[in-house]
Amino acid sequence: MTFHRFVRRLHLYLGLFLLPWFLLYGISSVLFSHGRYFEGLYNDGKPNWTVRFDRPYRIEIPASADQRAAGERILRDAGLKGAFGTYRPNGREFHVYVYDFWSATQLKYYADRGRLVAEDRRFRLDHMLTGMHARGGFTQSSFLDDAWAVTVDLACLGMIAWIASGLYMWWKLSQTRAWGALALAGGATHFALFLLVL
Amino acid sequence: MLSKLIRRTHMYLALFLTPWILMYALSTMAMNHRDFFAQLRGGSDASYAMESAGVYPGTFPPGAKPREMARRILRHLGLDGTHYVQRAPETGHLTIYRESPLVTRRITYTPADRRLVVEKAAFRTPSFLEELHRRRGFEHDYPLEDAWGFIVDIVIAGIVFWVLSGVWMWLQLAGTRRLGLLFAGCGLALFVVFLSTI
Repeated sequence: MTFHRFVRRLHLYLGLFLLPWFLLYGISSVLFSHGRYFEGLYNDGKPNWTVRFDRPYRIEIPASADQRAAGERILRDAGLKGAFGTYRPNGREFHVYVYDFWSATQLKYYADRGRLVAEDRRFRLDHMLTGMHARGGFTQSSFLDDAWAVTVDLACLGMIAWIASGLYMWWKLSQTRAWGALALAGGATHFALFLLVL
Repeated sequence: MLSKLIRRTHMYLALFLTPWILMYALSTMAMNHRDFFAQLRGGSDASYAMESAGVYPGTFPPGAKPREMARRILRHLGLDGTHYVQRAPETGHLTIYRESPLVTRRITYTPADRRLVVEKAAFRTPSFLEELHRRRGFEHDYPLEDAWGFIVDIVIAGIVFWVLSGVWMWLQLAGTRRLGLLFAGCGLALFVVFLSTI
């Protein structure tokens, strides 16, 4: 196999393998870009969150506490598991947000009232897609979450490989060099201008 | 003729949008490894350095909203552009974050003595990339911001077009169908596994 053929096949097969990720990132970006419009589509009076339980609960979470450890403890006590994030809006509240691609539950611990409230999020396609788009990082403890983060890296490397192989293939098509150079320079100029003026 | 049109559009669109795709790939990697990059610089908080200090010479109408005050202050400083503003409920201090891809500034206004302090955030490549990635337009009153949002929409349309035209071009290459199907099938299967497990 010649180098030229290898580059062409790499461009193609990488694209086919990563097609679901690329499509996901493309489609879900519309939801970020036009968030207000899509939010309006769900303005039907139904609550986004429904209380699952509201019960007495008391633990000590010092200000210096490891927030992930505290989140894990609350999840365990509530009988929940999965990928999660924590948020401490003030000294009296501690929130744990546990999620998968399809659903999400937030646990709100009110230290001053000694209560733990669990709320389930209503399923919305836009939330699911934006959640998938934003998911990444190596902060969760499960193997599958790390594996997803690896595929996110792979998708990024795929994009860089498409750029490099695309530039190579363009350069090899001598009759497209002038117009291609114009397109490339036009894009780069626009991008640089935005960097300067935004 | 149609085949050539699709192939050329696939290529020229990609050449024009190369800077954006490269930016999205690199910024996604920066976000996917946020903790690693934060550790590299010894902390995750942005550090600001004093740029200038002075007194705001103008006045605000009674009951002026933070957004209106921020806009006047930014115009006075010659820094009008995309920003976010917060007002401290007790003291009335305004904190304005003027977000620009290359330089983010924090402007603090103290109503008691009309003092203005302008601070500049230290440039950090991961933050620069993340700021560009999250920028989406149509959320502020600035036409340039909307122009950026329009380009982001073109990138989204480009992604969808590359997927569709890529699949179409693959189907035209009879010799690659079997292996292509294998790659597409493996990618899709892996994606479905993630979708059903995390």
